[in-house]
Amino acid sequence: MSSNAARTLTFNVFRHNPRDSATPPRVVAYSLEETPGMTLFIALTRIRETLDPSLSFDFVCRAGVCGSCAMVVNGRPGLACRTLTAQLPAEIRLFPLPGFELIADLSVNTGKWMRGMSERLQAWLHMQEEPDVDALEARMEPAMAEAIYELDRCIECGCCISGCGTAQMRTDFVGAVGMNKIARFRLDPRDARDDADFFDLVGDDTGVFGCMSLLGCHDVCPKQLPLQTQIAYLRRGMARQGLLG
Amino acid sequence: MKIIHTDVLVIGGGLAGLRTAIGAKRRGLETLILSLVPAKRSHSVAAQGGMQASLANGIKGEGDNEDVHFEDTVRGSDWGCDQHVARMFTHMAPKAVRELAAWGVAWSRVQRGDREVVINGQRVTLTEKEAAHGLITARDFGGTRKWRTCYTSDGTGHAMLYTVSDQVIAESIPVHERMEALALIHDGLRCQGAVVRDMITGELSAYLASATVLATGGYGRIWGISTNALINEGMGAALALETGVARLGNMEAVQFHPTAIVPAGILVTEGCRGDGGLLLDNDGHRFMPDYEPEKKELASRDVVSRRMAEHMRAGKGVKSAYGDHLWLDISNLGAAHIDKNLREVKDICRYFLGIDPVKDPIPVRPTQHYSMGGVRTDHRGESPWLHGLFSCGEAACWDMHGFNRLGGNSVAETVVAGMLVGEYVADFCYSKAGQSDLSPALAREFVERERAGLNALVAKPGSENAVALRARMEQIMTDKVGLFRNGQDLDSAVVELAELLARSRNVGVRASNLDANPELVLAYRLPRMLKIALTVALGAQRRTESRGAHFREDFPARNDRDWLNRTLAFWREGDDLPSLDYEALDVLHMELPPGFRGYGVKNIVEHPDSAVRQAEVDEMLAAKPDRYSRQSALMPFKQLLPARYRARNARLDDTP
Amino acid sequence: MIPASEKPGPWPARLDLLQSVSGLFLGLFMWLHMLFVSSILLGEEAMWTVARFFEGYFFFGYGLPWLVSLFVAGVFGLFVLHAWLALRKFPAQWRQHRVYWTHMRSLRHEDTTLWFVQVITGFGMFFLAPVHLYLMMTHPELIGPYESADRVWSGMMWPLYLVLLFLVELHGGIGLYRLAVKWGNFSDPASARRKLKRLKWAFTVFFLALGLVTLAAYIKLGIEHAPHVGEPYMPLSSRAAP
Ligand SMILES: Cc1cc2nc3c(=O)[nH]c(=O)nc-3n(C[C@H](O)[C@H](O)[C@H](O)COP(=O)(O)OP(=O)(O)OC[C@H]3O[C@@H](n4cnc5c(N)ncnc54)[C@H](O)[C@@H]3O)c2cc1C
Ligand code: HEM
Ligand code: HEM
Ligand code: SF4
Ligand code: F3S
Ligand code: FES
Repeated sequence: MSSNAARTLTFNVFRHNPRDSATPPRVVAYSLEETPGMTLFIALTRIRETLDPSLSFDFVCRAGVCGSCAMVVNGRPGLACRTLTAQLPAEIRLFPLPGFELIADLSVNTGKWMRGMSERLQAWLHMQEEPDVDALEARMEPAMAEAIYELDRCIECGCCISGCGTAQMRTDFVGAVGMNKIARFRLDPRDARDDADFFDLVGDDTGVFGCMSLLGCHDVCPKQLPLQTQIAYLRRGMARQGLLG
Repeated sequence: MKIIHTDVLVIGGGLAGLRTAIGAKRRGLETLILSLVPAKRSHSVAAQGGMQASLANGIKGEGDNEDVHFEDTVRGSDWGCDQHVARMFTHMAPKAVRELAAWGVAWSRVQRGDREVVINGQRVTLTEKEAAHGLITARDFGGTRKWRTCYTSDGTGHAMLYTVSDQVIAESIPVHERMEALALIHDGLRCQGAVVRDMITGELSAYLASATVLATGGYGRIWGISTNALINEGMGAALALETGVARLGNMEAVQFHPTAIVPAGILVTEGCRGDGGLLLDNDGHRFMPDYEPEKKELASRDVVSRRMAEHMRAGKGVKSAYGDHLWLDISNLGAAHIDKNLREVKDICRYFLGIDPVKDPIPVRPTQHYSMGGVRTDHRGESPWLHGLFSCGEAACWDMHGFNRLGGNSVAETVVAGMLVGEYVADFCYSKAGQSDLSPALAREFVERERAGLNALVAKPGSENAVALRARMEQIMTDKVGLFRNGQDLDSAVVELAELLARSRNVGVRASNLDANPELVLAYRLPRMLKIALTVALGAQRRTESRGAHFREDFPARNDRDWLNRTLAFWREGDDLPSLDYEALDVLHMELPPGFRGYGVKNIVEHPDSAVRQAEVDEMLAAKPDRYSRQSALMPFKQLLPARYRARNARLDDTP
Repeated sequence: MIPASEKPGPWPARLDLLQSVSGLFLGLFMWLHMLFVSSILLGEEAMWTVARFFEGYFFFGYGLPWLVSLFVAGVFGLFVLHAWLALRKFPAQWRQHRVYWTHMRSLRHEDTTLWFVQVITGFGMFFLAPVHLYLMMTHPELIGPYESADRVWSGMMWPLYLVLLFLVELHGGIGLYRLAVKWGNFSDPASARRKLKRLKWAFTVFFLALGLVTLAAYIKLGIEHAPHVGEPYMPLSSRAAP
């Protein structure tokens, strides 16, 4: 960071309360002195504490692990809590994630969307049988455990939905987050399902065949999940399943 | 007004709440979960390092079992814990890990053959057994004699929370997200549910339930800088406190973690030190061996934190714009290890500090981290004072951590407690007491009271600024109720906090809407947070000894004679301060009588019963042939467990 | 479990594959097509040889233009199939269009923008390419250096070809790149994508350049041949014979 005089940042923030029909959506500008190490979490909190106590936004972990604070920063979806203002120009535009129900201002209901997706895709491990918790655990190859964890790292932040043109156009599209979930359980030897079962979940145009390989998802995912490879892998598997049954 | 009926109301969507809900649901009860945030965003997601369970699969876990884990836990607690609960816990932890393994957690596994690790700053080669290949592996954590902490890279909490949360969805258990419990509905004897505010629409409703479970997490956010999530404001404990009957246990027992980054206060896991990372001072000198020659960086958390603070007081800290700090150096672990097992740490360093821990040391300092205190319950998780009110996880004090919890014992506790409390809650619901009638009239009364409170807040501009009051509270807690405590500071903390509480009644809200309104939320939470802060400060002020994380400079000795007890706090309606009461620990029934933890110099005022009990124990130990019969002679506990969880845990080295 | 009525069935999978396969064939064909058409740069005789080659002239000893008609019809069919499959992906409603447009403008993300280019270019080809294909199908015998040059210049086809050239090279290049990322299995997807992108642009630039030079050659020849418009090209072999 430069040692010059601190910048004055202008935050152009989308404001709207959908339950207040009298006030239309608007963009409000707030000015703030930049301080060293300032993140958007610090900046927004300061705005709320000193300028406008009614500003709504969601931070929970403020450490980039819970996925609550995704928003559109200068056009790009990302985690606000770990975005340093030093990496941004002095004019900063903050918008709520598109594609999700707006709660107020920068706060959107990603949780509701994710639960809906999980239910629809049955995105949980389907056990072969209930475990005997007194006995030794079933073995797993260390490399397999690592590969599963790699896909398990998704934090359901919703960036990939907001970064995907297909998901923006078609609200019933499961998006990269959904396809990654399926890829994760498909990889897992503990899951009792086979490709025929997974095909029933994502083998159509709301699933993997709706993906047009725009790769916005891959490029905005804050956890750098290998979405491109996983979607391609799933597409090959599902195409095989669809063709050969 | 909407009334929602359910058998079991679980308040909290973290690991503890979710696992409890699954247990109750599987027993055929209608179960519903409330959470301030989507369940997967709960603070449990942030746990990095791992979960303790004595599986003994790895070569460095050889010889581990429930007994060793139990001893570590009791010593870690500085003998402040309930040993029955600690026993139940260590017996259950392997079952919990194995259940999670079957449910989908991708635990890191043992790889047969040689691997290089760093122990005590040296590269060492370990050879894992062929027979252990593919079983769950473990890493080293502070205060443990074996490598016992199971993990998935450094995203253990994430992997666990997602797996359990997914199973909640699989069981079709509804999670009412962005819903805040504002008050418990009760008649002084029996808890009947909660008043709940929809944080989106502002709507108030009553949830009537046979059993209510508080699994609301800790209260770290009453300190200004904390490793905790922003939602850990102690609201669950406050709900219990405001009933006037339920009691909170050991609220002064608060843990400071040695390694949170400066200035953000974000945690970097104990796994860093467990895997071989070192603490360095402003001269680049590794100072921990000077203080704790045996355990060094891997002494118990409370000890490491105090040693670090001591070292900084001696002028060996690194100066920075944000105050002094020390260095955590993990560069000796190598890029490959960091990329695989400490990737969250690497991300945190990159995004919040702009450094690469493969090359650069990390600026760290002890920071508020964990709440040992909480809603006091019996070993079943139920409040002895308010029937039908259960609590588990970090929110509770069923008391397995005493005055200091070991790293990795907390996420383990959440799941274990969930497995047990889920059963006990179900037992209660099916019992006569659980089936007594609930009162919609009472519910209405409670809702109206909350409604009136909220309406009053938005009706006036107020003469006090909630943000300023909160900042002052945080400052007081940090300066006066921190790592080192003394009578003078604590006296003034109590007086000042009480003043703040009085002033908080004059807080108003400018924007008058009752729906999504962050200003309103702060306004109604602030007095509750202040009550929790007061309970902590008063407990600390009264406890004139040093035990575990509670360190009094003016009373440095651990005083078993006068203070081997548990603080109980309750708040009579209309009072300005909480009332305190004490519950003695029964030395004569302890499996492990009070002894020396082995850190620093021995400074203990002995309890008269300790020697008596020790003699008894020694005699019994000599008489019994194997560890199981010895244990059950010393302190039988299996009868406290639900029948389905009483079986022994299998291990690789079991002789068939 | 999912009720049978909501199970997807094999069609979405088949259609997705068909779209990719048709795109792949069209894309590769268009590059070959460009190479054949550019044979004019090697001289009139070369172009004549290539054209007759496809009529089976060197196989049977005389040309069978309907072979070319048949081939064009096949390509036409593939083209229609591909267009129909792709149309399913088009933003159907105006709302979707606007949403995509706003999204693309705000995200400023290359692959997202490229898809829009594909939609626009595809849409353009939908109107322009059938004209060309129809001519080729119905008058395969009128493919030859002078005949083609006359069509380009005197027949006023060059503006259409100029536009079509850009449309098809952009669309095909992006399409083939997309096929690679859509189905490919790369161990290092980031670097694979960087390389594919570079390759894609290289191909597009090369074929655009080749196309423009070729078109210029036809135009030049067309201007020169304008006084004799309609006269077919006589190959050297038949001229040599008395
Ligand atoms: C950074 C960090 C790292 C850690 N690492 C480890 C580790 O490696 N190993 C380990 O053992 N422990 C670790 N811990 C501790 C451990 O993560 C926590 O103690 C544990 O996860 C707490 O789980 P819980 O279910 O009790 O509560 P939480 O996960 O905090 O969940 C609380 C829930 O209650 C809800 N809630 C709260 N109030 C209300 C209300 N009024 N109404 C409705 N809902 C409400 C919240 O929405 C949330 O869903 C770590 C802690 C931190 C801070
Ligand atoms: C009317 C004419 C055409 C239209 C409307 C059209 C439209 C499209 C669209 C919208 C796509 C993107 C589909 C998706 O992302 O799922 C596409 C893909 C493609 N097009 Fe075309 N196209 C046409 C003609 C052509 C031609 C002539 C070629 C040959 C150069 C071609 C080659 C491709 C290729 C290779 C793809 C990639 C296939 C895939 O993604 O599966 N298209 N086309
Ligand atoms: C089998 C089918 C096809 C045949 C036989 C064919 C043949 C030809 C021929 C002979 C020419 C030279 C000009 C002329 O004679 O008019 C030409 C030019 C051209 N064709 Fe095709 N074509 C086919 C399909 C297509 C398709 C599908 C497209 C695009 C969608 C296309 C785009 C072009 C363009 C842009 C030119 C001008 C190239 C230049 O001069 O730079 N053609 N084609
Ligand atoms: S895939 Fe990536 S961008 Fe999408 S929800 Fe998961 S973490 Fe977020
Ligand atoms: S951005 Fe969307 S279209 Fe596919 S590749 Fe990613 S999901
Ligand atoms: S607040 Fe948790 S990811 Fe940003």
